[in-house]
Amino acid sequence: MIESTAQTEKLIDLILQNIEEIGEEQQIEIPANLSTDTALFGKHGLFDSLGLVSLVVALEQRIEDEFELSISLADERAMSQKNSPYRTIESLANYAHSLMLEKQN
Amino acid sequence: MYIDFFQKVFREYEAENAIVWKDEIFSYGWLLETLDYWLKYLEEQEIKGGTIVSLEADFSPNAIALFLALLEKGCILVPLTDSVAAKKIEFRQIAQVEVILTIDEGDNIRLLRTNHTVDHEILVNLQEKQEPGLVLFSSGSTGKSKAAVHNFVPLLEKFKVPRHSFRTLTFLLFDHIGGINTLLYSLANGGFIVTLQDRSPDAICGAIANYQLQLLPASPTLLNLILLSEAYQRHDLSSLEVITYGTEVMPESTLTRLHHLFPKVKLLQTYGLSEVGILRSKSRDSNSLWFKIGGEGFETRIVEGKLEIRAQSAMLGYLNAPNPFTEDGWFKTGDAVEVDGEYIRILGRTSELINVGGEKVYPIEVESTLMLMEGIEDVAVNGVSHPITGQIVQARVKLKTSETLPEFRKRMWQFCQDKLAKYKIPQKVVLVEEWLHSDRFKKMRREVPANEYSQ
Repeated sequence: MIESTAQTEKLIDLILQNIEEIGEEQQIEIPANLSTDTALFGKHGLFDSLGLVSLVVALEQRIEDEFELSISLADERAMSQKNSPYRTIESLANYAHSLMLEKQN
Repeated sequence: MYIDFFQKVFREYEAENAIVWKDEIFSYGWLLETLDYWLKYLEEQEIKGGTIVSLEADFSPNAIALFLALLEKGCILVPLTDSVAAKKIEFRQIAQVEVILTIDEGDNIRLLRTNHTVDHEILVNLQEKQEPGLVLFSSGSTGKSKAAVHNFVPLLEKFKVPRHSFRTLTFLLFDHIGGINTLLYSLANGGFIVTLQDRSPDAICGAIANYQLQLLPASPTLLNLILLSEAYQRHDLSSLEVITYGTEVMPESTLTRLHHLFPKVKLLQTYGLSEVGILRSKSRDSNSLWFKIGGEGFETRIVEGKLEIRAQSAMLGYLNAPNPFTEDGWFKTGDAVEVDGEYIRILGRTSELINVGGEKVYPIEVESTLMLMEGIEDVAVNGVSHPITGQIVQARVKLKTSETLPEFRKRMWQFCQDKLAKYKIPQKVVLVEEWLHSDRFKKMRREVPANEYSQ
């Protein structure tokens, strides 16, 4: 599973990059220190619903460019997960990773 | 008897030029003689009133004369052009075409009889009346093509009132209500009309310069292409007096630019639908999207923010869709409008309205803003469903620059920030290579797989 960890790390990287870009574009204040358990949405989250949509769409497009895999990070399935994939940076990376594994196999 | 008033004008203008086709000029006298020739031809071929005839041709002098001859005979006309080549067979079946008349590029005719049975109620009723008819297919840019059947007699009424004639061109074809309207208007008033084979911005501007045209009937997409290609700088357009625009919503940015470049040209918005015909209209001024519509034979009303029309020239019905009229004959256009006294402003098709978490967005407003950005050649905005906010705004963009998607997105956000509410700024951007309009110079917002296009 070494490869998987590397992929998750790469995903976290991409998410951080996108958070920064969207923060800059949409003039949303992003704290200097982000960690994998930084909340994306909800109480004390970085984004409102529009910001979250932008992040998710940008991340899907970035994953397609980097890994040549087309996945949907926002569909009925994502919305009906017991724990929302959009809670933290880590949960989003893990959810994206699980979808990528499904596509790869 | 249906075209007496045309023949009268043709005789009156006998020595005048009527039509330009492939740089050759044809007079009203020629038209009068050729019309007689085709009337005899139809007689010989025993094509009687009520026959459903598809006329498959581009605007050519013979196609125009034959069109009038078929009208005089009381035939039901189904004009088809090469822009629907892939759908011709299907369209002939839907319209239950009995005779196919094809006029080729060399202006030669071919006749073919089909074995279709005419049993559609609307067509049978029209045949029994022995009055000429017209079947028009909608472009299908927002769904499948609908076949609208008209009794041609009420459509002709408005052309009987003499009006000012212009030197003009036709960029829409005669399978389109706008193309037919331009042609009949010109012929009914002794006008001069240039037909085009090449409809590129340079060919259009070239024709205006060569023939000193006064009136350009256009769509906003075409006007935008003329601006983008800078074709207007390569040709002398000083003869232009009026530009009319219709068939889709005009982006404010295009109108402003046009008015700035051509301050002396009157810019007029037109309004018409294949279902009701073309209304008379009057723009508040050249730089305004507010306009009045109506005219004799038309009534309008606004119900829940949407335009409805009742027209004497309304179609009899669709051949392949349910009757769209209310019981008392109003047609719901599906266009959302704003009202200011007697003026209205069109916001867009309600079917294209995007709902982002309860906030409403019309594509035209976003497109109009994006077109103000440097380096954008074409843009089409639509809604795509998204589970977080219901729908999101998507922009498909054709760029002249070599920017990457993240680079462009960043520039777009900076540009739009103080011009659009946040929910209107496209959350999703797709960079495309192809132009985003149809053969009829109408924006295509709906995404369709390439093979569905009727090229």
